[in-house]
Amino acid sequence: MPSSTSSFESASSDLVVERSASAEARIASRPGLRQTAADRPGQAQPVPERDIPDRRWGAIMFAALVMTLMMLGAWEWRWRSFGVEPSIANSDALWATQRRRIDNGEGDGATVLIGSSRMLFDLQLPVWQKLSGQRPIQLALEGTSPMFALEDLADDPNFKNGRLLVGVAPDLFFSGFAFRGGVLKYTLKQSPSQRVGQWLSMHFVEPFLAFDDPDYALPTVIERQDWWPVRSGMHPRKKVRKLMVVTAPDRASHIWDKLEKDPAYAALAQSIWAQHLAPSPDDPPPRQLQRTIGQQISRAATAVSKLRRRNVQVIFVRTPSTSGYLVAEDKMFPRAKTWDVLLAKTGAPGVHFQDHPELQGLWLPEWSHLAERDAVRFTEALYAIIERDVEHRAPASPVARADAQTSKPE
Amino acid sequence: MVFNSLTFIAFFAIVLGIHSLPLAWNIRKINLLIASYIFYSAWNPPFVILLWISTVVDWYAAQGLVRAQRPVARRAWMLLSVVANLGMLGYFKYGGFLLANFTALLASFGVVYHAPAPDIVLPVGISFYTFATMSYTLDVYLRRALPARNFLDYALFVTFFPHLVAGPIMRPTELVPQFEQPRRASRQQLFFGLALMTIGMFNKVVLADGFLAHVAETVYDTDKIPGALDAWMGTLAFSGQIFCDFAGYSTIAIGVAMCLGFAMPDNFRFPYAAIGFSDFWRRWHITLSSWLRDYLYIPLGGNRHGPRRTYAALMGTMLLGGLWHGANWTFVAWGGLHGIYLSVERWLRKRFAGFRPNAWTLIAFGLITYALVNVTWVFFRAKTFSRAWTMLRGMAGTNAKAVPLLGTESLVVVTAIITGLVITHWLMRNRTLESVLARSPAAVLSCTWAVMAFAIIATQGNGNAFIYFQF
Repeated sequence: MPSSTSSFESASSDLVVERSASAEARIASRPGLRQTAADRPGQAQPVPERDIPDRRWGAIMFAALVMTLMMLGAWEWRWRSFGVEPSIANSDALWATQRRRIDNGEGDGATVLIGSSRMLFDLQLPVWQKLSGQRPIQLALEGTSPMFALEDLADDPNFKNGRLLVGVAPDLFFSGFAFRGGVLKYTLKQSPSQRVGQWLSMHFVEPFLAFDDPDYALPTVIERQDWWPVRSGMHPRKKVRKLMVVTAPDRASHIWDKLEKDPAYAALAQSIWAQHLAPSPDDPPPRQLQRTIGQQISRAATAVSKLRRRNVQVIFVRTPSTSGYLVAEDKMFPRAKTWDVLLAKTGAPGVHFQDHPELQGLWLPEWSHLAERDAVRFTEALYAIIERDVEHRAPASPVARADAQTSKPE
Repeated sequence: MVFNSLTFIAFFAIVLGIHSLPLAWNIRKINLLIASYIFYSAWNPPFVILLWISTVVDWYAAQGLVRAQRPVARRAWMLLSVVANLGMLGYFKYGGFLLANFTALLASFGVVYHAPAPDIVLPVGISFYTFATMSYTLDVYLRRALPARNFLDYALFVTFFPHLVAGPIMRPTELVPQFEQPRRASRQQLFFGLALMTIGMFNKVVLADGFLAHVAETVYDTDKIPGALDAWMGTLAFSGQIFCDFAGYSTIAIGVAMCLGFAMPDNFRFPYAAIGFSDFWRRWHITLSSWLRDYLYIPLGGNRHGPRRTYAALMGTMLLGGLWHGANWTFVAWGGLHGIYLSVERWLRKRFAGFRPNAWTLIAFGLITYALVNVTWVFFRAKTFSRAWTMLRGMAGTNAKAVPLLGTESLVVVTAIITGLVITHWLMRNRTLESVLARSPAAVLSCTWAVMAFAIIATQGNGNAFIYFQF
């Protein structure tokens, strides 16, 4: 019997022998080729031989390394000169670290924030902490309805005796649109390797590289160039640009100051919102939209009811928007058919920015998110409103509220 | 952990450092074994148990094969290995699929059966390491090789992290002997291994994930109806994506092994320059196609029992090869289509045995092969037959109510990458990468390496898993 170190000369078939011979002849006539398992049917495969091209690989690699560093330096300089600074990546892994806090002992009595980008940028964690003595757990996600998080928290017994602020951006909350809807699945399936990768990224990459941001990934940059003509029959919508900066590992964030300082960039962001909010052939018909709104509210009511049983106070917060954004929201998701019904059906209290003078007159550079300074004002005012008007109020019966449904704001 | 991740970079740096220490060879092998288990458990630690089961069963089966004198006993030991490995594969990979088909079958007879949702998680790489361990027992059974001399070498053969989860599917005779003598990479091997890793990473992170994946997703993962241009571009994009993804993985694996002083076999040989389908399968996923040939096609009779048996063996092998890729009938259709192509080609070769094509005819045959391979990719990529037919109708230009799906930038990028890819494959058809690198100016090599490294970092890949992990 042959040893394991040698191939066994198999006599399997005529075809095999014929093929082996022809393969050897073919390869002998082409000096660049080497045999593979495809050329050796029906036999033990020998130890592969890999030739190393006879070059000065050390010198070649050194030169490549220097050039790579130079190119990366130029790339970094280009984005820093655009106004980008190194910051913490708002990744799924970062969200997962915050979500796990609830399961790791912080869920009892915690204040948790869910919602979309407005809740993420507008509510300032340090300000809230200063006022309440408690730093909230930030679970809001840009471009994403908080419904999945609301239901997830409702089903999590580790979250109890606390407070849940639910940001309501009508076009997301009532449509159920979830740009980052896969984050929960990611969290549940996050592997040890991904956890280590997140730690390495946060400590060795993100603090140093400004270009490490999905907005400045090479394919994205190429795709967003203006030189591409629009294909006939297409009405492409520009993708939302970078709007935020994460300032702390617990996802404390604020609007990117470029939107405050660079009118052209703010105008670009506004034009993108206008494009996204304009009627489109892909929009659902009104009846279907109304059905979707009803489903979202119904899901919210079920979740709120579960949370209430664990002594979690749920407060809906309609965060500010203005100009073209507000007009479009009011048109597609009128308050009487959305916000008011939501409060009535859930029986939960709500704070609508239009009902409180102290939540108005704020600057939203691109119509949807507050300037950093005004986000501080907003947080202070919102905290005061909740403490004054909501905190000590007994929750209304959802049934009674539904019966008394009215288009008037609370 | 995936190769294209920060975790792997840190892991590999540590492994490389420890492997370079002046320790006894056995200690260094134990280090590699431990590192390989860490590599695997970084996905899902409990699944290491399956790896152990597969390792231990085949070790004892091979020992039993050597001791057994009677053919019946030898066959029993071989069957133990096959049943254990295919049983695990069957349960974890095909459990849900079998249950769904069983339910559908009952329903066709009017029996309503609501099966509980199996909710089985597929252990990463199970299709690869079960094939590797089975080849060990089967080689011993077929008297092609002796069992490994010690358990450590054998366990390291099964578990060696560069090939563990997505190949190349190693045979014991390719790897076990390498563990018998101390190995450490020379400086040349180390640097060239890093160059190969860069090439593989560029294929995966930049071309497959960065530029091609979203084009294929836009066309395939929607309910909208594509016209001819979009259907072809989406399919061509996928043809490039799957090649760059998988060949990229194999190249990284070969580079990683080389940095540690080991040699792994070629898994791809510029397949999009194939002329005919037998040529394609000598160039695409070579270690799988040769595995199926050696352990399935030839045992099924190969070409030794007349044309009818040959065609049956060919079809059976390709259908099962298709099913190996995933628990979905679309993969079976993909394999079946390749089986038909191979059968037709075989018949044509016999019918026109005297035909000698000129260069232009060969190029035309090559392009026809590539086009027909793209037709098979439709079934591989589409999640349902319904979508596959929509795509095929689109490619034939017969879709009514088609809407444009891809923007100009996607069309231009896909055209540029696929044209470049196919031309490169043709230029490299009868060459190896090494033979070309040996003749290229050093400045060109440095610049190319730098551009690829820059593109990898600037693309910021988000650690997407390799497509073949799901198989």
